Amino acid sequence: MTRSTRLRFTGIAAVATVALAACGGGASSSSGSGGAPVDGGTLTIARSQDIISMDKTTTFDNNSIYVMEQIMEPLFTVSKDGSKVEPWLATGYDISADKLTYTIHLRKGVTFSDGKPLTAADVKFSIDEDTKTGSDGWGYINAAIDTVTATDDNTVTIKLKYAWAPLLADLSLFSNAIIPNNYGGKTKDEFYAAPVGTGPFVWGSWTKGQSVKVTANKKYWGHKPHLDAVTWTVVADANTRKLQLQGGQIDIDDTPDWSSFSSLKGTAGINAQTFPSTYEEYVTFNEQRKPFQDVHVRRAIASAIDRNAIIKTVLFGNGTVADSLLSPGTPFYDKNNGAPTFDVAKAKQEMAQSSVPNGFSTSILISSGNPDQASIAQIMQSELKAIGIDLKITQLDPTAQKQARLKSQFDMVAQAWTMDIPDPDEWTSFAVDPDGGSHSSFSYYDNPQVIALNKQAEKETDNSKRQELYSQLQKQVSADSPFAYLYYAPYVFAMKDSVKGFYSTPLGNYHLEDVYKTK
Amino acid sequence: MLDRLRFVPGRLVQAIPVLFGVTLIVFFMVHLLPGNPAVAILGQTATPERVAALSKQLGLDQPLWDQYLLFMKHLFQGNLGTSITYQRPVSELVFQDFPITLSLLLFALVLSLAISVPLAALAATAPGRGRDLGVRAFTLLGQGMPQFWVGIMLILLLAVKAGLFPVGGYGETWGEHWYYLFLPALTLAIAMCPTVIRSLRASTINVLGSDYVGTARSKGAAGAGLFRKHVLRNAAIPTVSIIGVNLGYLIGGTLVIEKVFAVPGLGSLMINAILARDFPTIQAVALFVALFVIVIGILTDVVYTAIDPRVDLSSKELA
Repeated sequence: MTRSTRLRFTGIAAVATVALAACGGGASSSSGSGGAPVDGGTLTIARSQDIISMDKTTTFDNNSIYVMEQIMEPLFTVSKDGSKVEPWLATGYDISADKLTYTIHLRKGVTFSDGKPLTAADVKFSIDEDTKTGSDGWGYINAAIDTVTATDDNTVTIKLKYAWAPLLADLSLFSNAIIPNNYGGKTKDEFYAAPVGTGPFVWGSWTKGQSVKVTANKKYWGHKPHLDAVTWTVVADANTRKLQLQGGQIDIDDTPDWSSFSSLKGTAGINAQTFPSTYEEYVTFNEQRKPFQDVHVRRAIASAIDRNAIIKTVLFGNGTVADSLLSPGTPFYDKNNGAPTFDVAKAKQEMAQSSVPNGFSTSILISSGNPDQASIAQIMQSELKAIGIDLKITQLDPTAQKQARLKSQFDMVAQAWTMDIPDPDEWTSFAVDPDGGSHSSFSYYDNPQVIALNKQAEKETDNSKRQELYSQLQKQVSADSPFAYLYYAPYVFAMKDSVKGFYSTPLGNYHLEDVYKTK
Repeated sequence: MLDRLRFVPGRLVQAIPVLFGVTLIVFFMVHLLPGNPAVAILGQTATPERVAALSKQLGLDQPLWDQYLLFMKHLFQGNLGTSITYQRPVSELVFQDFPITLSLLLFALVLSLAISVPLAALAATAPGRGRDLGVRAFTLLGQGMPQFWVGIMLILLLAVKAGLFPVGGYGETWGEHWYYLFLPALTLAIAMCPTVIRSLRASTINVLGSDYVGTARSKGAAGAGLFRKHVLRNAAIPTVSIIGVNLGYLIGGTLVIEKVFAVPGLGSLMINAILARDFPTIQAVALFVALFVIVIGILTDVVYTAIDPRVDLSSKELA
């Protein structure tokens, strides 16, 4: 007997986009209701760094990714609240009973910005292109895919090597966005110098180090963008971005630093907003170094940190205490996992039980030019003194810091993670499975029970069973404390009051087709 | 006059070993920095295996000497290499950004002269009196204020509050470029003024006390005419070399100022290249800056020779 789970989403995405336009940034009322959407105008967004490349398969920096997402779209996309995957260029899919074959139905009537219709051949080419990059690009995310076949013009069949629950989430990643078959006859380099996709905006121009511009796609299959164009300018200094916003030169300050954010919050004519994210700041213990093999030491430190003090100092209060390996914006997050909380008595008790009851001296590695990490390290320094730990702060420039982390040259290191796909697997495999390639996010944490749970969850397609597995996993990791979770920080944007409909999903994607300017 | 400029070709030849030394030092110094471009490119998902694979693909697994020889070989062929970050020829990036930094420097130079010469004249013609003290206080203040702070204050006052200038950026048209560069150039000029004013003031006082000015005065020259014809040219001689040296320093100052004003020049390119460990770009920018400083040095001597007929660098070098 074969049982086929049939899921159809025909029309849902169209409804979703209309709904999004209607509530335009409903994540917050302040950027929402502003009367009927107005068409026209250029939106100027200033941010600290330039884009690097539009090659979706080998680009890892968010600045480039947020631009390419306006131009090239995937089959599925993350819902506005980040909790699930919704069909986008696809309308639905069928899964075979053995969970190894996915038949994906494409949306009809979608064209690329050059006018050519979207077909299954384009989809096959695009996904294969990503898979081929393997570990040099995002190809590793498609590791479970065996073959992609264009069954007919509007149907694509994906065969898997093994059952793989995160497949749809993986397909929603920008690296699996759909581009014309064979780069539309161009070479790869030529294509990515001016990429073509089905998105609401088309590639405009790029002056390296200065600005990048996209213009509205008049042939867009969804609701047409309100804006004529969007320009991202490079303004490295946070203070200059803030002043540019105040001076009216830009519409949006992308990622103001926390002090700018809190001062902009009270400024008339400016709307400083937070959006839930998957950003989690945490400290990794290097279990290759003494005395971090000792779970009591790790738990003692995790219990000695006053997260609220850090949130108050670093985030000016704009954050919440991290209490799990997963963030609340990530599917299968479970709050009740017994993660260590701030409790000095408990910390002292753990120290007494440890191999170093009289304390020890150690260091924390942070990245220079990152005031947040500098404050975290200083707060930890004074708090750990209370339980007999003498903490030194080692500061290296960002790339050198990453290199030291890769080479395991640290005792403790301050790190952060944001999710790229709406599925916990990308992160859990990186963080707790040594096979993930990073030695469990550089901690060298290796618990066979946790690894087994993670592998099981990858193959489980039943959501309630997956929840159970991920709950167990979160509980066990908290008990082992290879990391001390610090805080969850939201995404922040400061914009003119005249900017309406702007929102960011917990994965950081923004749908600029919904944005308009009132003045 | 042309005769006295015979030293120029010799200077240019001397520059070659200097530039060679710069390539050697810069190349090996940047490779001393921990971390390579692969680490910078891969972001949060970097793992040791993936870094190793990308390093190999970028040719970074080759012995350092081989990489250096390859770099030098390409350099002799006029090829500065390919930016690892942008995957574009470095020369394209440098030639896009260098004119911006150069305009900024020249604009700053013009502004600093426009401020310094009148102020120095004001001070020197009444040493010890009120206006002299005022000018000297200004130079002290100018020297004491950090450049980036001056920049931020100018933005706050003239751009945000008064709305006279844009808050950083570079604009799109030729006219806009100068408009956008005014505040950063003024910031650099304020940093440069104090030294120029002090030097000019001291030499002007010296010249004013000299016999030939006394002679000129006795022949009826006075006021602005005396200053322009007899004083300024002689007083400017020591100042020229000070300006030359300062311009060399100033190109370092542009690194900070370009960041504060979001000017997309060489400074911004250099900072980003260092953070990303984009070795070819770092090397090219360093080479360009070195060449620039050498050219400024030569130009300083040319100007020196032009305004003081007694200076003959050619004969000294021939001797």
